[in-house]
This record gives sequence, structure tokens and C-alpha cells, in this order.
Amino acid sequence: MRRRPGIGGLQTAAAARDQYKKLGENVAKIRTDMMKEQLSTFRSQLEDFARKHKNDIRKNPAFRSQFHEMCAKVGVDPLASNKGFWAELLGIGDFYYELGVQIVDICLATRPLNGGLINLQELCQLLRQRRKSDRGVVSEDDCLRAISKLKVLGSGFEVISVGKKKLVRSVPTELNKDHNEILELAQGQGFVTVDEVERRLSWTSGRAIDALDTLLDEGLAMIDDGHKDGKRRYWFPCVSPISSLTGIDSL
Amino acid sequence: MQKLGEFKLPHFFNYPPYFTLQPVRDTREKQIQLWKELILDYCKTQKLFVIALEEEFPLFTNTVIERSLTNEAREAFLSALVSEGRAEWMDKGHRKCLILWHRIQDWADILLQFAKDNGLEDGVVTIEEIRFGTESQGTELHGIDRTILNRALKLLEQKGKLVVFKGTSTDDEGIKFSV
Repeated sequence: MRRRPGIGGLQTAAAARDQYKKLGENVAKIRTDMMKEQLSTFRSQLEDFARKHKNDIRKNPAFRSQFHEMCAKVGVDPLASNKGFWAELLGIGDFYYELGVQIVDICLATRPLNGGLINLQELCQLLRQRRKSDRGVVSEDDCLRAISKLKVLGSGFEVISVGKKKLVRSVPTELNKDHNEILELAQGQGFVTVDEVERRLSWTSGRAIDALDTLLDEGLAMIDDGHKDGKRRYWFPCVSPISSLTGIDSL
Repeated sequence: MQKLGEFKLPHFFNYPPYFTLQPVRDTREKQIQLWKELILDYCKTQKLFVIALEEEFPLFTNTVIERSLTNEAREAFLSALVSEGRAEWMDKGHRKCLILWHRIQDWADILLQFAKDNGLEDGVVTIEEIRFGTESQGTELHGIDRTILNRALKLLEQKGKLVVFKGTSTDDEGIKFSV
């Protein structure tokens, strides 16, 4: 557009800019509308799918997990609200809510024994025992999803990775890298000695004892002075197999 | 699950750290609670009334994991039972402990029930019969510790439910109920 001099020219330029702006907005709007329509199509197809496979979703954890992934890709969160289509159709909101409550219960009950850190596998097993034949199997994936919902409550629930294992933390205790490394080391035999920590992690004696003492104080470790070699062992209930904890039968 | 004879041992019994008295308070409290329950449970099912600290008590050692409770730990757990009224030290040196897996009051109630069940509301029976007689067989009274029985009898005597009288020898001691 040819620039005209003077005020008129300025006004024309401004008008032109406005028009371009509107055009740009229109284009953006069209694109957005198209996307919305596509998403809406996806969503209704997803809803159809969910209706058809309702039972499978309820009963089969692997299927359920894949369903969640599909939903995530399309930006649908079946757990986002306890009301509405998803919750009503699938009762999924209730399912995870209930799971969440049971998980909190179990963590609280085992806290005196493991300091508030529990192996995910063990948690799931205790959960299954509790639910028994209750409406289908519960997978680790289900546990993780329920826990991620708990996080939203700011309840201090978190899943941390230590080596190959996943631990569920239900106390605000912050574990630093040193603590994590010790926990990972402990996964081998369920315990560590000061010597072992120094040797395997190449730490000073002071650093090892410091970290171990903190873990002891937090209730995550227990001492064992009974071995005939006279060396103190630090055991970690959260990395030991289930059979070493008590009271699980009554949970 | 490990067993001691017919007794099923709880899982913590196989976890070595539970045999060391824990220094951290919360952990130690949980440990003490678990051991208290185990001791009471075990004594009840095995009908044991006295624990002598220096003697071999099967519950205090786990040969499978090669751990044994220190004297300090044993005394700590038993003292906890004493504080709760579920045990009593029999000597000042804390070497012997009387285990009250039933409290004295409970034993008194059991005695009264025994009297009612056997039509002894106004009757007479010897100590020997209570402890080893045919009527008491199959009841918890059978084989009851003498000290505990005496305490229960005293309690009931104070309440006027019975009178203890002596015979020609200790074994002839008898009770007249007035339930």
C-alpha cells in the first residue's frame, strides 16, 4: 500500500495495521476453531470408546492404563472432576478417590514401622490384600495415578525413585542425594554398614555417619548390633521385602 | 511364617533390628509395643507365668537370624509390661518377672465364673482342686501360678466373695465361696 504523506498517511497506515491485525486474528481463530472441532471429534470418539469398553476399563488394569494414555494425548483427564461425564459413566473418579483414601490409610498405618517411606510394590500388595475381591485388580499404575491425585492435596505424598525401585513417601521428610544413595545401596541386602557406605560410595566417615544418623532419626532406619562380627548394621524397612514387617496381616 | 512349637511368630521376629533396643524414641516405642504384645500372647498360649531374665526364654532368641535380645532389651520390654500393669517384678534385682496375661482382676472374675459353673456358690474347694482338679481341666485356671491365684483370692476375700482357710498342710488350703 502506497504510503501517503501527512496525517492522512498516518491514519491510513494505522487502519492498514488494524486490518492486518484483524485478519491475523481471524486466521488464528479459524485455526483454533478447526482444532477445537478436531479435538471435539476426538473427545466424542473417546467417549464412545469409553462407553463401549466400560467393563474392560473397570476390570483390566493394563487396558485401563492404556486408556489413560489415550486420554492424556487428547487432553482429557477422566479424574479431573468427580462430576460430569467421565465420573458418571465410568465411576472412575470414585475408583481412584477410594484408592487414594486406602493408600493414605496404609501409609499412616505402616509409618511407625518404616518412617513414612514404603516400597511401591509393597503398598500395592497391601492394597490388594485390603480390597481382596473388590471389583477387579489394582495395578501399580493405578496406585501411581491415585497418588498423583493425592499430591494435589498437598499432603506430602510423593513417589521417589531409588535405584530400580519406587518408594512412596508420605511424610514431609526431604531426602537429599546422600540419603538416596544410601537407600539405593541398602537395596542389596536390606542394610548397610558404615564401612560399606564409605567404601562403596567413597565417602568420609563423617559424611556417612551424618547421613545414616539423619535417616535413623527420621525413623527410616533401624540399628542392629546383634551380628557376631560386632559391626553395627543400619536396616531400612522400606527397601526390605514385605515379610520383614509386622502387622500386615491385620491391615 | 516361623513357628515356635505351635505358636505362630509375627513377622517382626525375623527382622534383625528388632533384637536391638532402638535409640530413636518413636522407633523404640513401636518396638516395645510389638514385643509387649508378643510376650503376653506367647505366655498366654503357652500358659507361662514367670520369665527369668537370665534363663533361656525361647522368645528372646531367634536362631534362624542369629539374634538374641540383650539383657538391657529384655529388661526394657518387661519393665514396659510392668508399667502397664501386665507384669510384676518378683525381686528387687529385676531378675524374675511375673507375667499377668490376665490381670489379677480378670483372674478373680474367672474364679467366680468357675464357682458358678460348678455349683460352688456356697461351696468349698481346695486350692489343689482349683489348680489341678478335674473340674478345672480345660479351663484357664488349670495349672495357674500359685502366686497369681493367691492374689486373686485375696482380692475376692476383700470383697467378701470367699474365705480362705488353712488345712493341715499347704495343699489342704481351701476356699469357701459366698458368691
